[in-house]
Amino acid sequence: MALISLGLEGTAHSFGAGIVTSNGEVLSNVWDMLLPKEGGIHPREASQHHAELGPDIISRAFDEAGISPNEIDIVAFSRGPGLGPCLRVTATMARAISLALKVPLVGVNHCVAHVEIGCFESGFDDPVTVYVSGGNTQIIAFAGGRFRTFGETLDIAIGNMLDTFGRIVGMRFPAGPIVERQAKEGSKYYPLPYSVKGMDLSYSGMLTAAKKLYDDGVPLEDICFSVQETAFGMLGEIAERAIAHTKKRELLLTGGVARNNRLTEILEGVAARHGAQFHRVSPPLAGDQGAMIAWTGLLQHQAGDHLEVSESYVLPKWRTDAQDIIWRS
Amino acid sequence: MEGELWALGAESKIIRAVWQERPVAIKSRVVKPYLLADIDELLRRQRTARECKMLTYARSLGIPTPAVYFIDRRNNAIVMDFIEGEQLKEVAQHADIALLEQLCSKFGTMIGYLHRGKVVHGDPTTSNVIVDPMGKLWMVDFGLAEWNATVEMMGVDLHLVHRALETTHWDRQDTMLDAFLEGYSSVMGAAAAAVLSRMEEIRERGRYH
Ligand SMILES: Nc1ncnc2c1ncn2[C@@H]1O[C@H](COP(=O)(O)OP(=O)(O)OP(=O)(O)O)[C@@H](O)[C@H]1O
Ligand SMILES: [Mg+2]
Repeated sequence: MALISLGLEGTAHSFGAGIVTSNGEVLSNVWDMLLPKEGGIHPREASQHHAELGPDIISRAFDEAGISPNEIDIVAFSRGPGLGPCLRVTATMARAISLALKVPLVGVNHCVAHVEIGCFESGFDDPVTVYVSGGNTQIIAFAGGRFRTFGETLDIAIGNMLDTFGRIVGMRFPAGPIVERQAKEGSKYYPLPYSVKGMDLSYSGMLTAAKKLYDDGVPLEDICFSVQETAFGMLGEIAERAIAHTKKRELLLTGGVARNNRLTEILEGVAARHGAQFHRVSPPLAGDQGAMIAWTGLLQHQAGDHLEVSESYVLPKWRTDAQDIIWRS
Repeated sequence: MEGELWALGAESKIIRAVWQERPVAIKSRVVKPYLLADIDELLRRQRTARECKMLTYARSLGIPTPAVYFIDRRNNAIVMDFIEGEQLKEVAQHADIALLEQLCSKFGTMIGYLHRGKVVHGDPTTSNVIVDPMGKLWMVDFGLAEWNATVEMMGVDLHLVHRALETTHWDRQDTMLDAFLEGYSSVMGAAAAAVLSRMEEIRERGRYH
């Protein structure tokens, strides 16, 4: 009989609860995001948001799945990496459910979950993953029993860069989609710092330069166009290096910024050059949500990876490559 | 110039040919159709020019690099000596511990010489080091190199070495990193400490928490 998993995600400004079966059905996937105010996420406010809305989000996940809580076989939670207060609130809810329903507790790495839910949706076995969101920009691939970070940002994440730029020029949050719309109207390229170092990259220099263009009165659509071409071009280049280096045949795009069509087009171009398959994770599974935690929790559970409640402290700095991926060979 | 395709890198193709009776490598940076043409052209031009100058400059700092014969600006191609040998990346898979330590220490001294000359390599991976049949190490691929390096830039360079070891040589990374840093520090002397601690700091960045 299929196992049923409840997954709780709460590493940053979103809280989510998802219910997934070992047959690969997503029964429900409910979430809510705290809109960040000026200056980004406030850890304590975000954790209050999770504490206040969490119980209701969890019961809605059960309602939408059409099952009762005692039908679940495991409860999984995002153990890290993320903001300490948010992780602790989420872990507390997961522990309570584990104890009350007497089901095993599984601690999931948030970044690993983004990769695994992408493999689940695409059917990919062993991709190079481009994981791009408000807080993360990483190129991840499996090697030697671990998911290894082949490249990442040396300063700010791509989503953070787009949102910060947007705030400066008066766009509302999240700015990514507005930048994309504006960029379609632009056509003149203004050079911005293109900063690739090995398979790592940096966005802070181009953010400063883009601000300067805005102050100089360059049309916003042309700045947006130049920002996208530069920022996504850099990502395309490091993704290509990772593909060339690992010789893997699949390229996966995931995370909130995966919604961007220009980035998708660039990565499709990269995959095509190397005869690799490409998949962009669909919006409901690309952002931070509970289904990815539930699904990865199932993979871990089936491989015998559980957590005692007494040992289930959170890991705010849990590196992607610090976990033995025992469910993959 | 006729030749055989030798390697297909992420940004270039290397052709092995013979020119004036010597074996040469022709490295040309090919068009990346997925990039905006303005960006692509600029990058290929800049990186070709930079690599050409750096191959020569690095040699003046004591790092063995292939000699450059000429540069074909129209095709963004460089003609240089062909170095017979094997990538350090491959050698590291079959070398015994003693040899591995010796090679990585040598690799460390080469990066140390560069940094001492205020230059960073920009892509210091084990595929950009060639071990010739005499056991001598050569460095290639200077397209991302930079002059006037600060402690931050050198820290990034070491971080990239660390990163390359942990993703590509995970089973031998500790041995390799220790030997690399030993060689690096022996050249950098007292200046090594600041760069090493910057490297550690850089590893922690990029994560929002
Ligand atoms: N002068 C040379 N003699 C012999 N082999 C060389 C020479 N130059 C480069 N090679 C080989 O070709 C490979 C690719 O060259 P290089 O690293 O310069 O290209 P690239 O496209 O910049 O690579 P990457 O994939 O790292 O971006 C090197 O790793 C090296 O093994
Ligand atoms: Mg190379």
